[in-house]
Amino acid sequence: MSSSTVSVSAPTPTQHHPFQRKVDEVKPSKPDIDFLVMDYLISHGYPDTAMEFTKEAGLALVEDESIEARVEIRHAIHKGDIDTAINKINDLDPQILDKDPALHFALLRLQLIELIRSCTSAPGLDITPAINFASSQLAPRAATNEVFLKDLELTMTLLIFLPSTDLQPQLAELLKPQLRQEVAAKVNEAILISLGARGEARICALYRARLWSEKQAREAGKDIPAVMPLGLEPSPVQSNGNGEAADVMVQ
Amino acid sequence: MFRRGSYAQVASGSTGTTQPNSIPSQSGQFVRLSNSGSIMLGTGILGQSHHARSIDADGYHASMSNSLGRSGPAPSYTSQMSHMGGYGALQDGGAPTFFVPSYLQGSRYAEKLEEEHKARIAAYREQRSSNSSNAASLSTSSSSVNLHKPGHSYRGLAHEIIERAPSFVDEPIVSWPTRWDERDKYPQMEVEEDGRLAKFAGAGKSAHDEAAAIRADHPMPRQCGIYYYEVTVVSKGRDGIIGVGFSGSKVPLNRIPGWEPDSFAYHGDDGLCFTSTTSGKPYGEKFGTLDVIGCGINFHTNTAFFTKNGRYLGTAFKDLKPNMQYYPSIGMKKNNEALRANFGQEPFAFDIDTMIQHEKAKIQQEIVTLRAQSKEHGSTDETQFIQGLIGQYLAHDGYVETARKFAQEVRQEAKALSPDGSADVSHLQTEEDIDAVNRQRIRAAILDGDIDKALKHTNAYYPSVLRDNENIYFKLRCRKFIEMIRSCAELNAQLQPTIPTPSSKRSTASTLNKRNSTATDEYDFEMELDEQLGVHNGAPWENEDDEDDDLEAKQKKLGDLTQAMIEYGMELKQEFANDPRREVKRALEDTFALIAYENVRESSLAPLLETKGRVPVAEELNSAILVSLGKSSSAALERLVQQTEALVSELADDGGPGAFINVRKDFLQ
Repeated sequence: MSSSTVSVSAPTPTQHHPFQRKVDEVKPSKPDIDFLVMDYLISHGYPDTAMEFTKEAGLALVEDESIEARVEIRHAIHKGDIDTAINKINDLDPQILDKDPALHFALLRLQLIELIRSCTSAPGLDITPAINFASSQLAPRAATNEVFLKDLELTMTLLIFLPSTDLQPQLAELLKPQLRQEVAAKVNEAILISLGARGEARICALYRARLWSEKQAREAGKDIPAVMPLGLEPSPVQSNGNGEAADVMVQ
Repeated sequence: MFRRGSYAQVASGSTGTTQPNSIPSQSGQFVRLSNSGSIMLGTGILGQSHHARSIDADGYHASMSNSLGRSGPAPSYTSQMSHMGGYGALQDGGAPTFFVPSYLQGSRYAEKLEEEHKARIAAYREQRSSNSSNAASLSTSSSSVNLHKPGHSYRGLAHEIIERAPSFVDEPIVSWPTRWDERDKYPQMEVEEDGRLAKFAGAGKSAHDEAAAIRADHPMPRQCGIYYYEVTVVSKGRDGIIGVGFSGSKVPLNRIPGWEPDSFAYHGDDGLCFTSTTSGKPYGEKFGTLDVIGCGINFHTNTAFFTKNGRYLGTAFKDLKPNMQYYPSIGMKKNNEALRANFGQEPFAFDIDTMIQHEKAKIQQEIVTLRAQSKEHGSTDETQFIQGLIGQYLAHDGYVETARKFAQEVRQEAKALSPDGSADVSHLQTEEDIDAVNRQRIRAAILDGDIDKALKHTNAYYPSVLRDNENIYFKLRCRKFIEMIRSCAELNAQLQPTIPTPSSKRSTASTLNKRNSTATDEYDFEMELDEQLGVHNGAPWENEDDEDDDLEAKQKKLGDLTQAMIEYGMELKQEFANDPRREVKRALEDTFALIAYENVRESSLAPLLETKGRVPVAEELNSAILVSLGKSSSAALERLVQQTEALVSELADDGGPGAFINVRKDFLQ
């Protein structure tokens, strides 16, 4: 069949910039994009979505035996149930935490934070479990590592200030769900790498390559548009009225 | 850029005034001819009528003159052909030698060049087979080719080329150096071994500082990031006055490179490196017979380096002009001096691959560092952004159920994470989109090969889309026809092994096939239709003694299908036969050529039948519907890929860091 395609592109503010034409000329192949999506769903652990996607997009099923375990581990970390998470990681492969002391320490510290959180949740509760856990599990590891030691000390100060609604930012960080999310992502990566897979989804690398290349191009004085929106529909929160700058990638 | 008169320009866009769909970018493609001295004039320059004649100096380039015969797609094809002469292919009749230097393997630049090369080979083969069947091989005089009736034997060749290698539509890609250029040398230099060996062949007793230099056929391409080549000193002669390096296109060739402005070289007799002057600066050791000297430019840093016998000698030159085209160049002065070049045809003595790997790793590191920085702002931004991208793509492309599941799983994740069990998934589009459902239904129908259903749904929900996008409507119609041929072929294949075909029938069929494959002329179309009909309908009665009812039913079905297919074909032809658009004509011709084959699956047109051909039609229709709804035709995720690719290529063209990135290889696989 003829390959001549009619270019159909919705009007965008940057349409008339010569660079936009070059962007439009790039024709990403559908299988490549589907691959990006599938790779993300598998590596970041969305098994139901991945299954549905194979059906709807007519793709071959990607086998990944670790996905269920990874989802459970992520779930456990997100909930703050670090004990379960560590057990499950060790069930998969005890080497993962043995080989990555920083990751192991990060998990144990999360567990300590949860202990502190629970034993300071009401006045008069016993704080010895937290102290015992810190001295038996974390202190030996921190003794030989500056960074670990600092982290441990900072975490222990939570005992002094909690319960409080007005923590200094550094301490408040420790209680935010983002910390769990970050550790969970690191654990996921470590498991994937231990299985010989790529640690992070390709889309994450692509996203950063996009940021990097724009930065480089601007530094080199290339003639590119001032803003290059992706066309992500602005979510209600981000919407800024004109609906175009909301999704500009900012560094 | 192109500096010498020996490049002939063949502007091949055909007559732009009468062909609105001509390929303008084809014009301006420079064509290099293998036989020195043969110069072509532009034939049919874009926007002008065909009044120019090509002057064929040696009568060799038959294909060139053929372009005068017709105004269709042929010129672009001929331009590819004559370009091949530059590889010395037409003389020996073999495929042009193509090589990728080891360090460029996997690079975007090498990929592009390889695609172009493959298309050229395909065109060459088709041209040869087409020619031989018409008793007009390349070696016959040009006049015999000229005598062909327009539109007869070259049907569809050029657009085949374009379809296989979309990159042709872009600017032509300039090759890396492949050989010493026989037309860019001082007379006393001799070139042998397919342009690899250069030797001094002068009297040796000429003027005092008279020397002989030569340049390669192409400049060192900036988009390599780092370009590198090597020479082996086959013989250093008595004094070994040899220079290896590079120079601009205008540098005089009667001097050893390095002594003139814009020329740079490392000299064998003293081991010094020279630029613009006859007094060199200390650099490396002397070199002589059997030494391998390598020369490279880093276009990112605009510096040059040399190697000796696989050993890196350090930076020799800095501050090369960023806008200058540098050609590999060597110079010699005495008899018995000879150098053999390795432009990447063979493994290099120096481990240039590792050097390139190192550059690549550096850039990947920079990208990862960016990750670390963005992590400081909190990884949630990135996580949410990417979840948004995925969710929007699923919705945009009509994967309704997948999008729903994704939102569900992301919500579960957010719930587990949040202290109060609430889930903020505002970055995902969660509302039901009735259009997405419809679009998915239409896409699924096309992917299933059920074009009628797709047409019906499209007309029901988006009546304006097919009206406003006639070309998509046409493609759907063609696809339906192809699907009908597919079902016929499938059924036929099921029947085939069980039917003992009479040998006479088989031989008729095969001769028929043979004829069809060489002369798929649309004028024969109707006649072939009848023959085709006869073959299929005749079979059941010849096998009356066959006891299988099921088989008979199948035969009946095949007859019906074939009948329906032919009727549909006639209808299609009637509807579009008078369409003046070239791509419509081509598509019609291609599609109809399919029925000329009894066993289509084994013909060269088999790819047209593949189910993956449904995907582009489905995507095009999906895009058109989106546009009709006032939405962007491509998803944000596709934009991300497009922008990255365009930005990286912007960073590669001048030898910047983009040269070391292959977006598809590095990020999409």
